[in-house]
Amino acid sequence: MLDSLLSAQLLFAAAVLGSIYALVGLGLNLVYGTMRLLNIAHGDILMIGAFSAYWWFTLTGLSPLIALPLVAAIGAGLGLALYFGLFRRQLAQGLPPAAIEARSLLLFFGVSVVLQNVVAFFFSSTPRAYRHLDEVVRIGDLAMTGNRIAALVVAVTLLAGMLVFLNRSLFGIEIRALIQHREAARVVGINVDRVQMVAIALGFAAAAIAGALLSMTEQTSPFMGFRFTIAAFVVIILGGLGNIRGGIIAGMLLAVIEIYAVTIFSAEARSILIYGAFVAALLIRPQGLIGFGKRG
Amino acid sequence: MRNTLSILCVTLAFGLALYFGGIAAGPYWQLVALNLAMWIALTQSWSLFSGLTGYVSLGHVVAYGLGAYTMVILFREWPVWVLIPIGGAVAGLFALIVALPVLRVRGPYFVILTFGLAELVKFVLLAVETALGQSSRLMFGAPGAQTLLAWMVALAALATLLRHFVGVSVFGRGLIAIREDETAAETIGIPISRYKALAFALSAVIPGMVGAVMALRSTYFEVLQVFSPTISFTIVTMAIIGGAGDARGPVLGALFLVALSEILRGVSPQLYLIFLGISLIGFVLFAPNGLTGLLRRKTS
Repeated sequence: MLDSLLSAQLLFAAAVLGSIYALVGLGLNLVYGTMRLLNIAHGDILMIGAFSAYWWFTLTGLSPLIALPLVAAIGAGLGLALYFGLFRRQLAQGLPPAAIEARSLLLFFGVSVVLQNVVAFFFSSTPRAYRHLDEVVRIGDLAMTGNRIAALVVAVTLLAGMLVFLNRSLFGIEIRALIQHREAARVVGINVDRVQMVAIALGFAAAAIAGALLSMTEQTSPFMGFRFTIAAFVVIILGGLGNIRGGIIAGMLLAVIEIYAVTIFSAEARSILIYGAFVAALLIRPQGLIGFGKRG
Repeated sequence: MRNTLSILCVTLAFGLALYFGGIAAGPYWQLVALNLAMWIALTQSWSLFSGLTGYVSLGHVVAYGLGAYTMVILFREWPVWVLIPIGGAVAGLFALIVALPVLRVRGPYFVILTFGLAELVKFVLLAVETALGQSSRLMFGAPGAQTLLAWMVALAALATLLRHFVGVSVFGRGLIAIREDETAAETIGIPISRYKALAFALSAVIPGMVGAVMALRSTYFEVLQVFSPTISFTIVTMAIIGGAGDARGPVLGALFLVALSEILRGVSPQLYLIFLGISLIGFVLFAPNGLTGLLRRKTS
């Protein structure tokens, strides 16, 4: 029993899922951190990315990996459309964060319902899947499919790239400044509007790419996003608001919990544990995500 | 005093119209009337807690589901009219138990917490049912549609009156004070924890009874369907569209969405939900006080 639990197979599965969770969580972190928008449609952006990749592959027959820039652009475009259509004016009014959070939650709930049902309306809610890069690569006892390796490599590369961008580039530092203290960021001359635009575009693009990667290994359906919205919230609650490195660790941790729960118990245990972790995280930190903000 | 009398009269007249109108208009409209009464009862109950305290619950389906579950597992043991109040009691008790830890969480975190909790309950019950080897349950010999409509209309009227009278009571004023400024409310001596817990439990009782009646209506029970988060979302959307200020809001919100559903569901259920989402966004952006807010602006 212990042997199989420590097997490289499970660790590999957890690493793939964890890197996806970290990417999704990173996107939510950017959007929530810079603007206090509670994006409960975040998982639906992932769903849009997954559908885009599915249609790309079905229509062109080319690898969805080539289409990643396109998928990212779709995600970013959606983010910008929502920013200009719904949130820009509200954010400029200088409402207290609690009011912005409450209102954005309702607005994003509306967005979520619309996105899910528009996709279901045009493409039906039947789950879809395609086969791409599914030949098995063996290293010793470890059997990996090509698409999982590709998903892991792309996700880890993007996470590393974002980490460097946020820590080293001037623009990344501006984003982090906004996450840490909105007013102070404005005072030192940061163009808040521009930073918000980039943050929402990047955050949505990250979610869409995560969806495209996921579509290679899992079924795609209009209602697949829920699970990832919740996972993203768990990641930023556990990992810390604006704490990108903490979020990556939390994403991995969540994936390990999930993979082992499914292996040891059953597939139903997955949802119980994810929501259990979610509820526990909120109950243990009743002040919410903000309490973690001060940690580097 | 006159106000009280007029509320009683309007509620009674509306309830009777809904019941007799539904029966007279034939089986299809009877079902629509049942749905309308159900949503009014659920949204009024939600408004009793969330409208007054400002703690937006996105997990009210748990109360509904627990009531339905109670009805289904005890259906063969006890008479139905005993099980409906028991369903309400089970839901209220559950709310009371979780109230203490859950109500410490404020603002948007409370919203996502109630949602997560509802999903957790759903999946735990799903695991329990699977372990018992029950993928779904059927009920035979449930009361007829007219009886169910009468009960549901009675529940809707009860929920409306409860919402109104709590709203104008000392208790209700305390809840509103909590909504406006919780710290200030505590400072002037309002027992905030007890008030919030009581309102939370009270707002679960009628949805529990509604769930029990609806279980009789569908005679079929499946965890994923009965505990569907769509129910919680619909309640919140109705309350926002109607406006949570007083007891009229939930009625208007329920009327609006039930009408929308009647028009569009026949075309496509997805289209109905798309318009539901768009209506919600529109109201939040342009009419945050809902239909009652628009009415008030027009009359004043």
